[in-house]
Amino acid sequence: MDTHYVFPPAAAYPLNRLLFSLKSDPAFRERYVGDAERMMVEAGLDASTRAALVGFDRDRLVALGAHPYLVFMAQLRLAMAREPGTFEEF
Amino acid sequence: MPLVAAFACAHTPQLLIRPPSEDRALVLRVHAAFAEVKRRLVAARPDVICIVGGDHIEGFFLNAVPALAVFVGRQARGEFGRYRYTFDVHEPLARAIVEQGIESGFDLAYSQDLPLDYAFYVPLHFTMPEPALPIVPLYVNVYLPPQPTPRRCYAWGRTLRSILDARPERVALMVSGGLSHFPGTDRYSSPDFEFDRALLASLSEGRGAETERLTGVELDKAGNVELRTWITLLGAVGSARAEVICYEPSWHHGNAVVAWPV
Repeated sequence: MDTHYVFPPAAAYPLNRLLFSLKSDPAFRERYVGDAERMMVEAGLDASTRAALVGFDRDRLVALGAHPYLVFMAQLRLAMAREPGTFEEF
Repeated sequence: MPLVAAFACAHTPQLLIRPPSEDRALVLRVHAAFAEVKRRLVAARPDVICIVGGDHIEGFFLNAVPALAVFVGRQARGEFGRYRYTFDVHEPLARAIVEQGIESGFDLAYSQDLPLDYAFYVPLHFTMPEPALPIVPLYVNVYLPPQPTPRRCYAWGRTLRSILDARPERVALMVSGGLSHFPGTDRYSSPDFEFDRALLASLSEGRGAETERLTGVELDKAGNVELRTWITLLGAVGSARAEVICYEPSWHHGNAVVAWPV
């Protein structure tokens, strides 16, 4: 069995870079919420990767070489940006 | 000065910002455990908190992936949603750890310019005494393979203890991470709570040294890649018997808060 967290393939760097920016760069996240397609094209992602990202298809993204943790947290940060009222803050 | 306190704390962000998917009562029970850690920290009167965390690909992306690192800046800053954190860093201690760690054979990376990860500020949000103490953030790579081996983490913890014991400061050692969880994978909703319970039973008997014999594959399969931070602490506390302040398994995460006598 493969491990859950694997060495990130270099070919997936553009995808992981975009997920990292979604997770950690508030300005990038805001632009992405405004025009995701444009940000994905500018990041150099191909059509099938863009399709997986639009639906945040976790298993497909991981199969494409995305780091699972980046998928997880990019999605959570997008949810925090899109639906802030649903989170209880301590 | 010997260590004055040692703790391990969960840090999942759902403890800070709770989505509707999380059991509120469980979250509050973990907060109560954090409050107990804070009470003990105050009583121990440390001068500084050394906190060992696994970076969540926040400070270190694929531009550089150090196995072990120390933050040696003036202040450590991080942000999460509307939360903004700034902690003073105990620079003399951070420098001593880097210099003496390297002299001892650990090729530590260091940084003076790194955004702080939530592995550090979620536990500190709930446990930092007032007025706030300076910290030293210590990094162990847990998420970007190949990670340091459990054996290496344990050895680093042992060396870290000898460095800290020779210092004039009263030091609290805190580690952040775990227990079982599988973020971003198809195992997300089925953590290995049996692994966690067996581990906590073993640590309660003072058998922490056994963790250095775990393999990286075993940690990954058990959803415990972050246990490397705990293993670092176990190298520092040796055969001290753990006291489990709480273990609260949620639908996706084994939340543990543990203390060791030092």
